[in-house]
Amino acid sequence: MALILFYLRKLFSVIKNEVLVLPSRVVVVLFFLFLLLVPLFTKDTYLLRIFTLTSIFAILAASWDLLSGFTGQMNFGHALFFGVGAYSAALLNKYGGIPPWGTVPLGGLGAVLAGLIIGIPCLRLRGTYLALTTLAFPIILMGLVFAFPNITGGELGISGIARLAGSRVADYYIAVVVMLGLCTIMWKITDSKTGIIFHAIREDELAVRTSGINTTRYKLLAFSLSGFFAGISGGIYAHFMRIAGPSTLEVSMSFQVVIWAIFGGIVTIYGPVGAVFVLFPLMEFLRFWQEYRILMFAAVVLLILLYMPDGLFRWLRDKIEKECPRCKIRNIATRDTCRICTASLD
Amino acid sequence: MTQSFLQIKGLTKNFGGLRAVNDVTFSMERNQVLGLIGPNGAGKTTLLRLITGILKPDAGHVCFMGKEIVGRKTWDIVNMGIACTFQNMRPFRRLPIIANVMVSCLSPRAMKRGEWVKRLEAKAMDALEFAGISDMAREKASTLSQGDLKRLEVARAVATEPELLLLDEPFGGLSPAETDLMAKSIRRLHKGGRFGRLHSEGPAMIIVEHKLQWLMKIVDRIIVLNFGNMIADGTPDEIVKDPRVIEAYLGKGDT
Repeated sequence: MALILFYLRKLFSVIKNEVLVLPSRVVVVLFFLFLLLVPLFTKDTYLLRIFTLTSIFAILAASWDLLSGFTGQMNFGHALFFGVGAYSAALLNKYGGIPPWGTVPLGGLGAVLAGLIIGIPCLRLRGTYLALTTLAFPIILMGLVFAFPNITGGELGISGIARLAGSRVADYYIAVVVMLGLCTIMWKITDSKTGIIFHAIREDELAVRTSGINTTRYKLLAFSLSGFFAGISGGIYAHFMRIAGPSTLEVSMSFQVVIWAIFGGIVTIYGPVGAVFVLFPLMEFLRFWQEYRILMFAAVVLLILLYMPDGLFRWLRDKIEKECPRCKIRNIATRDTCRICTASLD
Repeated sequence: MTQSFLQIKGLTKNFGGLRAVNDVTFSMERNQVLGLIGPNGAGKTTLLRLITGILKPDAGHVCFMGKEIVGRKTWDIVNMGIACTFQNMRPFRRLPIIANVMVSCLSPRAMKRGEWVKRLEAKAMDALEFAGISDMAREKASTLSQGDLKRLEVARAVATEPELLLLDEPFGGLSPAETDLMAKSIRRLHKGGRFGRLHSEGPAMIIVEHKLQWLMKIVDRIIVLNFGNMIADGTPDEIVKDPRVIEAYLGKGDT
């Protein structure tokens, strides 16, 4: 009993001292709660389906940010990881008879392998050359898919694979919980010692080498981690849609990820996640004006990037929070003095 | 035969048709501070880059503590105990200064030697303290002045706790007062000892520098390069009197 009280008190003090002081943290907590509580208020299958797909793509966008935003390895072929995850999960389920809880992580591992396979030749490339090379890999895989239609189903893809779970609500919870979990892990990675090295590799790779860090190892690590998370999202997607088709490997898929991430703000993790939660439902909403859908979508993205070049969520965060000039700790914008060092803000 | 600390034999590097470093051979001892001078384009920076493995030599050998290091990866060489700084500073501009140094503290060499240091940040802080920029630890590196960037370079190199430190123009672009400070830190570093949680072995050094009057006070031996060739090797006093050196710097005829 005393132990429970102790932890309750600790939780209470953490919420009071760490969460409530910053609006961005409050927003994140509310976001978690909102997603976890949605099915209590609505059982509308269409709405749940949109949110499930949004969660799946949020993992994908965040994993792109981990590789291209943080480590600076511009990947324009992120659909490769998604497609490999989807296809491996589908193949394992259809021919191996493994249930979804086994195929999804294995699909993730398949995507790690893909990450290593494209990571090794791409180690020496930088910038535009890297972007162009990575762009080619999903196209190559798509060629392979079409070349062996009796295994991969060709244009039709692999259909009739097991459902993710019994019901829409269960599907929703699996996707949302996995998304929240993986994005927290990704955020933790970028916040760790490894994250510092990822940042440094983006800034100046040669200087990282002369600091005694094996950059090859860390770049491959970034490729595999990013591939793993993207592969898991691909596996969940395949089981949710019950089909793994060549659309998962399309070039437009790769660019969709880039648009999401840059719209929300790269090098943040929360930016791409938030961006998917804005843009994906928006795209569905715009179905009311079917003919102008893409045009309006493009206009929204262009306007946001024109006025908020650092991304929507970075911009919002800077509006509601100020950084203390002395101790670099963030404060709510309404404060006059820093909450830690009491230096005058602005 | 006793092994020298650093032994360079017949080191050669071509850039296209240009021979940047031509058949350079010398060796140095553990306790030496070596100055490397020469006119612009003499191949000084190239020589340092060959030693650290950033560039691959076309011919020749570099032995460090009895081991051949030509062909090894840069990070392996750094982890063996050779640290270097860049002439045109290369900080991680968008990272805080402390994070710049923490990258060095995360290298296997620094991690192994500082096992007892629980907090990397504390060790990185001590490296900054040594270089004299600890009060700006949380600022972005892009906000630093030229002189502070030079010190950041030194802090980053020192954080790997090297046995041999290669400094590429540590005084370049510094005011006389800043140069004094930097010279003092370099001497202090060479003496060795503890700076907080940071341990200095009192590394041997190779210093490339144009400000000769400062350099003379620090080094006990100077090597002069011209067009990639080694033209002189001796104590500072011998070097300033050497006619070949005067010719390389001032030209022939009117002395």
